[in-house]
Amino acid sequence: MNRLNKKRRQFIVLSLLIPMLLLIAFVVFPAIDLFRMSFTSWDGYSPVKEFNGINNYISMLQNKDLWMSLKNNAVYFFVHLLMIVVELAFAVLLTGKLRAAKFYKTMVFMPYIINGVAISYAFSYFFSPINGAFDAILTTMHLEGLIRSWLSDGSIVNYVLAFVSLWRFSGYHVILFMAALQSVPQDILESARVDGANTWQLFRYIQVPAIMLMVDFVLFDNIRGALQVFDIPFVMTAGGPGYASSTFTLYTIETAFTYSNFGLASTMAVAIMVMIVLIYVIQNYLIHGLILKDRRKEA
Amino acid sequence: MKRRMIASVLACMMTASLIGGCGSKPTEDTPDQTTGGAGSAPSTQAAAPDAGTDDAPDAGSASNEELSGTLTFAIWDNNLNDFIEENDMVGKFQEQYPNIDIEVEKIKDDSEYWNAMKMRASANQLPDIMFNKPFTLSRFKDYLLDLSDTQACANNELASGYALDGKVLGIPMTSGYEYVYYWKDMFAEAGVEVPTTWGEFEEAAKTLQDYYGKDNPNFMAVACGLKDEWPDYPYMEFMPALESGNGQNWNTMATQDAPFAEGTDINSAYKKVYELFTSGVLGKDPLGLGNDQVTSLFAAKDAAIIALGDWGLQNIQDGAEDISQLGTFYLPTRNSESDPYNVIVQGDSFMGVTTHSKNPEAAVAFVEWFYSDAWYPDYINYVSSASSMTNFPKDKDPVLAESDTLCPDKVLVMYDGGGDDFTAIQNETTFDYKKLGAQMMTDGFDLDAALAELDTKWAAAREKLGIQ
Repeated sequence: MNRLNKKRRQFIVLSLLIPMLLLIAFVVFPAIDLFRMSFTSWDGYSPVKEFNGINNYISMLQNKDLWMSLKNNAVYFFVHLLMIVVELAFAVLLTGKLRAAKFYKTMVFMPYIINGVAISYAFSYFFSPINGAFDAILTTMHLEGLIRSWLSDGSIVNYVLAFVSLWRFSGYHVILFMAALQSVPQDILESARVDGANTWQLFRYIQVPAIMLMVDFVLFDNIRGALQVFDIPFVMTAGGPGYASSTFTLYTIETAFTYSNFGLASTMAVAIMVMIVLIYVIQNYLIHGLILKDRRKEA
Repeated sequence: MKRRMIASVLACMMTASLIGGCGSKPTEDTPDQTTGGAGSAPSTQAAAPDAGTDDAPDAGSASNEELSGTLTFAIWDNNLNDFIEENDMVGKFQEQYPNIDIEVEKIKDDSEYWNAMKMRASANQLPDIMFNKPFTLSRFKDYLLDLSDTQACANNELASGYALDGKVLGIPMTSGYEYVYYWKDMFAEAGVEVPTTWGEFEEAAKTLQDYYGKDNPNFMAVACGLKDEWPDYPYMEFMPALESGNGQNWNTMATQDAPFAEGTDINSAYKKVYELFTSGVLGKDPLGLGNDQVTSLFAAKDAAIIALGDWGLQNIQDGAEDISQLGTFYLPTRNSESDPYNVIVQGDSFMGVTTHSKNPEAAVAFVEWFYSDAWYPDYINYVSSASSMTNFPKDKDPVLAESDTLCPDKVLVMYDGGGDDFTAIQNETTFDYKKLGAQMMTDGFDLDAALAELDTKWAAAREKLGIQ
């Protein structure tokens, strides 16, 4: 018995130690190195990394193209945020007794498993001004008046790209919500029905509170995804025209590799980390501290 | 809540680690040098490991069998990769050097190549043999051996022209010329002559746009895939040099505080480009199309003109049903026929041996072999680019040769991609000429304001970097 206990303890220690070491080696240490690099003027290839104090942070704050890029990230954030409600509705629909629900589930999840670069290329051609499928669809429907320069008009390009991002990621959120909804105990739902609760009341007072952890995760994933969006604008517009569809990550990578300023790019990476945490805290406060606070009181 | 916060911080760190992981520390035996700020020139030269000098070892001093080791040969060019695989380059090389093995490392494209090389330079892990472009030579100069004593250098017509501090750091594999491709039958139908001045070029483009554009709303007189930004390089990168006839124009700019001011070469060149781009001759939505798309449209005769390098011929041939009506001329940037007809020429794909090579003698032997009659003549005949070797001249493709017939009085301008000072200022000011070309097509763009802003940034950057 003692031997078994000893083995169990060894297993527990190893299970803790190995992931910890991997985490330190591949996450904590690079993050510390990134923070250190953010105070240097390293160009990416010189052996010397000169310390330049907080110059990178000042330069970052003064860079208007970077902040314009961040504004573009906001488009992705709000478009995805609005869609979370729709995604939740889809998840509820698909969890219920819907004819061919399995087929719909597969269709909804499919875009997420397709390679992001391939999707971006496909949509580049879809929105192409010459021989583009979308313009052809509009023409067939006699809606020529709606045709725009989808990828080159600075005022709409970010919404077009956010639509592609929605097409790709919504299915992932729907599947997450469905998994959470299926874990809600059936007996609670049954007893509520017996007590006379209708579908809306079931959804509002039982299902939503039960999946709040997943809602939190999806909201966090939305912030992270919106601030780090890269492949879709990179392939479809390269951040153009000018910086009209550039994003924070795109600009960071351009700073590092095009302008050989890894020090400044590291500063931007630190900034994005801070922003993700900050926005998450604010969002959490708004949702849990203000909106759900009243509900708790009601309960 | 606290646990959730910790989890979110860890998740953020994980995403940041991707970028952080790129910044590996240099190892102890990294070449000893000092830098004066981002991108500035090191004050001392790097020393080659083992050799103790940055001069190339004499390959002839050791017999072929004595040389041994494994060489890494990093490339990005698809055509070169295909040719290497189809013609068993390693096997042929080992017929002469049986104890040297070659590992060919193919990297996706040139942008990815520079990213990888920057990382590997700082990690002391550059391949034995690497390629450079004119604009990257100065960036990697401390990591490249001097090849001026080699036979390959002696036989190359461009190598010595790109020497830095008297050292030849790479042997250009090809000579690169820039052309304007056009459809002769479309010119004839619209009644347009091949232009020889910039004014004529603008006029020809407008006539073509008016003639074909009235029936075909998708028509582009001048095809330029500005969605990718880089396809405007024949105009935005080369026109300042063509305007002045000074291939060193970027280096000249690095010595000036207001290089974009009214009356300067770059100012005149960009005003010409701006007027052309905004005159409607690029079609209805050039910012919505990439280079692959516009090249296909040109091949299908939905465009009459496209400016590309000699490499572009292969792409056009692949997309066109018939190229009997395809012609070329050099981009005429001169104001009048009495001005010189400047034409850009540049060395391309500079093959160099790095200071990180553990077998520098074997690497130099490989360079010599690559440019010898055992390999180079077959390769240069396989690609559409021109030969850079005087001992292996190559006749131009008839389509490309037409531009020489049309322009017997051309003046060659050897293009330099810009040295250390220019690169440092460019990085500091984030001056991206290719992006600027695409921005010209955006709503509300003001060229004068953009150039004035660049002047302000330029002067500040020179002062900050201490460049005189």
